[in-house]
Amino acid sequence: MTRNFVYASIIASTAILTYGLAVNDFVPVSVTVALLGIAWIVLFVRGLTRFSGLAFAIFIIISLASLWADVFPVFALAGVIFALLAWDLTRFFQRLQMTNSPQDARKTERAHFMRLALVIGLSLAGYIAATRIHVTLTFGAAALLALLGIWGISALVYRLRSHE
Amino acid sequence: MSRIALLAALIYLIVLAGVGTLNGAMVALALPLVLYLLAGLWRGPEEMHLSAERTISAERAAPGDSVFVHLTITNHGGALEQVLLHDPLPAFLTVVDGASSRLVNLPAHASISWSYTLQGKRGSHYFENIQAIAEDRLGLMGKRAALPTRGQLLVLPSISRVRHIPIQPRQTRVYSGVIPAHQGGTGIEFFGLREYQIGDSPHHINWRVSARQDNVIYSNEYEQERVADVGIVLDGRRKVNEFGGMRSIFEDSILASVAVASSLLAEGNRVGLFIYGKRNKWTSPGYGKHQRERIMQDLALAETGESQNFSSLIIPRRLFPPNSQIILISPLSGGDVSLLAQLRARGYQLLVISPDPVSFEARGLGDSPSVKLATRIARLQREVLLRELRHTGVQVVNWDVARPFEQAVRSALSRPTAFLHAIQRGVGNR
Repeated sequence: MTRNFVYASIIASTAILTYGLAVNDFVPVSVTVALLGIAWIVLFVRGLTRFSGLAFAIFIIISLASLWADVFPVFALAGVIFALLAWDLTRFFQRLQMTNSPQDARKTERAHFMRLALVIGLSLAGYIAATRIHVTLTFGAAALLALLGIWGISALVYRLRSHE
Repeated sequence: MSRIALLAALIYLIVLAGVGTLNGAMVALALPLVLYLLAGLWRGPEEMHLSAERTISAERAAPGDSVFVHLTITNHGGALEQVLLHDPLPAFLTVVDGASSRLVNLPAHASISWSYTLQGKRGSHYFENIQAIAEDRLGLMGKRAALPTRGQLLVLPSISRVRHIPIQPRQTRVYSGVIPAHQGGTGIEFFGLREYQIGDSPHHINWRVSARQDNVIYSNEYEQERVADVGIVLDGRRKVNEFGGMRSIFEDSILASVAVASSLLAEGNRVGLFIYGKRNKWTSPGYGKHQRERIMQDLALAETGESQNFSSLIIPRRLFPPNSQIILISPLSGGDVSLLAQLRARGYQLLVISPDPVSFEARGLGDSPSVKLATRIARLQREVLLRELRHTGVQVVNWDVARPFEQAVRSALSRPTAFLHAIQRGVGNR
């Protein structure tokens, strides 16, 4: 099941970004995105899962760039979410390969999908809230908030890595 | 790059791009990634305090026997949301039922038990520590631990039974057995005549010969049967045992060694074993079931290899008593004839049991005309080799491994004993 979800996520992320760019007249870019999506699927089929991190980063950057290209923001968000799903499920699929107990695999899949559903649900809720709330900030205040955010993320990453 | 570092880099990129362009929607794109990171932090794995216990249903097994392995892992610490418990299997053992790796949720102070069934090939297999890898549900943080537990499984060679190996050593031991001792006394086979002595059974008087003599009565004398010293030499040289496509005839040599050793020990002989392979291994001679067990254990560990010291076959003479019987189990190569002839000249009685490498290899090469021609040439070369050996007085069993071993031994060694006596007398007169 996880394998199919990986395919579905890659296809969804690629299709949404390709469509979003194509309707905004960025046809050559949308074709490139489609080709990148196909390449990601081929790499996964061939078991070259170490490239999934690179593919994930490329799709995040494309989603980011698509906002500059006036793509509908929900498409960019969907591109990010599906790329995140594909990247996560690729790693999870590898982990499932390590066990030879189908019963464990089913239980773990269920728990993992529930956790992912929670993350995606909260992301969507947060995104909707963020787009509804309009706060006008000066550049200085925005930069300060950004620095605060970066410090928060750094502290979080430091804590996570120190636990490893 | 680790997954956390990649996520962090992408979050920085998105946030900086959003602030740089003063685009709130762009900053909001970082939300899924930030929440994903937070989900990793939430209920990440704590320090692992696990202990493991492994129970193996048998310490010794035959190839193909099912062996049950029972594992119990106890968590003495906090809850582990997702932990991979992996029992690394030794090479040549395969799981036939159940799972050697589990991916489970292990609550605090709980334990989990499971079993799996495995089968293995010949050898001594050592189990290593159980590997535990605990991760959060999203696989961002991980902790590894090796849970100390040991185990060993000895898979003994397959057993093929042979009722009797007719050997003819020049020298026997004092204890009675089944091997002709070339000495008159009590026995079954007629050995000769001697003058009647008081105490001889009237049944043993040879009336026909006595009737031809005046005042002398002759008694039949029978050949004594005793036990003997037998040294089995197993040739484990890689160059004669292994062929293309990872095929090896060595397992058949092992099977023959087991059959020969079992048969000779069952008849009361003193048997030693010398394995010439990856490591030269000498099992000192002994009697009975205990010796059979030692030989089986050494054969279980036998591996092919190349000796760095000697390229050709070496049979250390000091290990075998003079005039004893040596049984060499080897596919043979051209250079072995001179060594075997030397041994023969020094008084050892030699029996060579040779699994036929030509037939063995030909079976794996198909049926093309070139293969047929090559097989024919190789077979002729082997025939010449075996004929040279027989001319030096060595008994040879050329065993096509597709046939049962007992059948090959019976047909090759069931010649009339008179024929063997004649060979011995011929060699003795030289």
